[in-house]
Amino acid sequence: MSPTIPAIEVSGLRKRFGRTTALDGLDLRVERGAVAGFLGPNGAGKSTTIRILLGLMRSDGGSATLLGGDPWHDAVALHRRLAYVPGDVSLWPNLTGGQAIDILSRLRGGVDKARRDGLLDRFGLDPTKKARSYSKGNRQKVALVAALASDAELLVLDEPTSGLDPLMEGVFTDCIREAKAQGRSVLLSSHIFAEVEKLCDTVTIIREGRTVESGRLDELRHLHRTTISVVLDRDAAILASVPGVNELVADGAKATFTVGGAELGGVLAAVASYSPRQLVSSPPSLEELFLRHYGAVDAAAPARTAGVR
Amino acid sequence: MSAAAALPRRAAAPSSAGTLAGFGPSVRFILRRNWLRLLVWAVVLALMIPIVYTSQQAAFPTQADRNAYANVANTPAIAAMTGLPYAAGSLGGILVIKIWMTLAVALGLASIFLVARNGRADEEAGRTELLRGTALGRHAFSLANYAVAGGLCVVTGLLISLLALQDGLPAAGSWVLGGSVAGVGLAFVGIAAPCGQLSSTGRGANSLGVAVLAVTYLVRAVGDVNAGGTQVTALSWFSPIGWGQNMRPFAQDTWWPFLALLALAAAGCLLALGIESRRDVGLGLVAAGRGPARATAFLASPLGLSLRLQRATLISWLCGAVVAGLFFGGVAKAMTTVLDPSNAYAQAFLGGSRTLLDGVLGTFVLFIGLLAGAFAVQSLSGARAEESGGRLEPQLAGSLARSRWLGAHVAVAAGGSAAMLVLGGWLAGVSSDGAATAPALAGAALAYWPAVLVMMGVLLFLHGFAPRLGTGLGWAVYGISVVVAMFGPLLSLSDSAIKATPFGAVPRMPADGFALPPLLLLASIALVLGILGMRRFSTRDIMPE
Repeated sequence: MSPTIPAIEVSGLRKRFGRTTALDGLDLRVERGAVAGFLGPNGAGKSTTIRILLGLMRSDGGSATLLGGDPWHDAVALHRRLAYVPGDVSLWPNLTGGQAIDILSRLRGGVDKARRDGLLDRFGLDPTKKARSYSKGNRQKVALVAALASDAELLVLDEPTSGLDPLMEGVFTDCIREAKAQGRSVLLSSHIFAEVEKLCDTVTIIREGRTVESGRLDELRHLHRTTISVVLDRDAAILASVPGVNELVADGAKATFTVGGAELGGVLAAVASYSPRQLVSSPPSLEELFLRHYGAVDAAAPARTAGVR
Repeated sequence: MSAAAALPRRAAAPSSAGTLAGFGPSVRFILRRNWLRLLVWAVVLALMIPIVYTSQQAAFPTQADRNAYANVANTPAIAAMTGLPYAAGSLGGILVIKIWMTLAVALGLASIFLVARNGRADEEAGRTELLRGTALGRHAFSLANYAVAGGLCVVTGLLISLLALQDGLPAAGSWVLGGSVAGVGLAFVGIAAPCGQLSSTGRGANSLGVAVLAVTYLVRAVGDVNAGGTQVTALSWFSPIGWGQNMRPFAQDTWWPFLALLALAAAGCLLALGIESRRDVGLGLVAAGRGPARATAFLASPLGLSLRLQRATLISWLCGAVVAGLFFGGVAKAMTTVLDPSNAYAQAFLGGSRTLLDGVLGTFVLFIGLLAGAFAVQSLSGARAEESGGRLEPQLAGSLARSRWLGAHVAVAAGGSAAMLVLGGWLAGVSSDGAATAPALAGAALAYWPAVLVMMGVLLFLHGFAPRLGTGLGWAVYGISVVVAMFGPLLSLSDSAIKATPFGAVPRMPADGFALPPLLLLASIALVLGILGMRRFSTRDIMPE
């Protein structure tokens, strides 16, 4: 397979459930060897997209390519090369976690015993307990161990850390970094901005079944305003007259404002002439990028959704 | 006074009322979730009274007919299956022979299923925890559950009594008839309640309750077979079904066994609430053990996993086939000494077979066939449960074709039902002490396999085209097939109508001769339904609940 073919390429994907439109022209691309973040609020269509990519559901339109193949027709062959972790893991209550890991791993072709045992150790999971007695976090670990112990080229992770404690989230982060270092591709659907910022090369943000923003994280940041906090030697209200300063909040000598990428140089030169004693510049966080697409219409959104259904 | 009103919860907390806080809303909530189910149980069971009464009025129009029937009614087969016919000379007595046991056992099953569904199954799914997190007393929901199931029994009993009165049956007997059926239902609420506390799964609670019901049924069957005349034996008093029977509607009209049934219901519920006070939410009385850390290569194959998931089901149904086979064979032997094969009425009851014994054996083999059918339906419902429970998706996300996954479940259902048929038939032959050979009855039983396959075909078809309704509709189709095959003549259905249903179409060997065409037809229907369902399943969306 040529390395130029992306691990996942989705364009214009559509899916309806009765009268509800779940996906309405969604685009998504995951390059080989890249970790791609997949962000959207509940009900935006992340899990539906993943189910279509896994051949569990059929799309109503658009195209989806997975590792160069058709996710519906080539499902069995493609699934030897990928591993999936659902967001809400259901296990067989009367089988042990270890048995479930082996069953899921063998369905993918085989188990690397050493890697499996290593992961069990790192995640602190007791494989002899019946799945019935596992907490949500422990069930999640079962699916993670089964997926990470495989040789899969592509990891499809649907909110994989839900229910994990911060220590285990750290272990997960390490594992994904290792997977990336081994040249594997990862699709990571998540709500946790810090996790995506830490791990992902590219980000796709979706809303109501449509892609609203996608690209490399640093490029996305570049398009948006940097937040700057300063303390000057005089009344900071003077900054209001500087071209390029937006959303200024001045309080005595302290001020916070935002600056677009293009005006940053000019604004900093102007600030320098006011002898700043302190200056903190923070690039736009992923959370801000995300909220920019959702925050403004948050109040209107539920009413609109209810009206459509 | 105003202070007490302002702090009602604190005031109530130390008293026992605290553990019952929220009982009323819980009852309403359970009714809201089950009203259709409750309505269907009550109406269908009660309506059996006028339907069967009308058919029996047509079958035995004169007192002379009934007297003639009374002379031959007391056979071991009737005693074993429906109880001692103590009043076969009256229409009321004949009604009891034909339908009482069916009503009582069905209402007992309804109690078991309802209590498990709203009790343990909810707790297993974590919904009880959600409710108990609110200001709901510890016992309120369980007691509401028992009260609703008990309410179904009382309402069904009342409807039965009223419909019997409507048909012009004696008043005293009509009330005892409804009371005895309701009493057995209530007793099984009292049995199902502790079952739901002991087992940690809804399925386990159901199985345990049904097993107790089967034992109580068999205990009284053995008791009734060994009875002298219509004189009840001591053994019958070891079964709550026996207590209900011995209220003897339309004969002695005894009410005191009803009190015993009520006492059993109350004791069982109190025991269950006692256990509930001592255990943690979500757990049974028996703690979950540990298991192997690794799966064997076989367990990790689709067939191995399907077999492992259905291990308990398969073993209990095989045990059921063994017990049924041995029991039927043993009873058949007793009949050879009692029955007069030349008696026209006895022959009519058993469907015009060449000899009465063959007729009885044919009916018993049908029962084994119906048991195997029930296993097949339950087994294939397990496939849908894997999908609805969200456990299928991760499997299909592995390198597993849908047809291979479903094929493994089909193999277990088909293989398990064939094993039940051969085993049950063979053992019936072995224990019949010469009434029939083991290979002959095993063969006769195996002739029901195509009918079982049709049931599987129906399930597969529904699994493909209507997965969310599949399990319910599948059981409904099975239930109708059973009723027609067993009670078709009783419901005045024509022979051709009965033969148009899966289990009715199979020749009732050894009474009837072997015939290949109906079996081939059944197998073809099964194949077509199965292939259609499989193909649809391969192209539809996976639908977890």
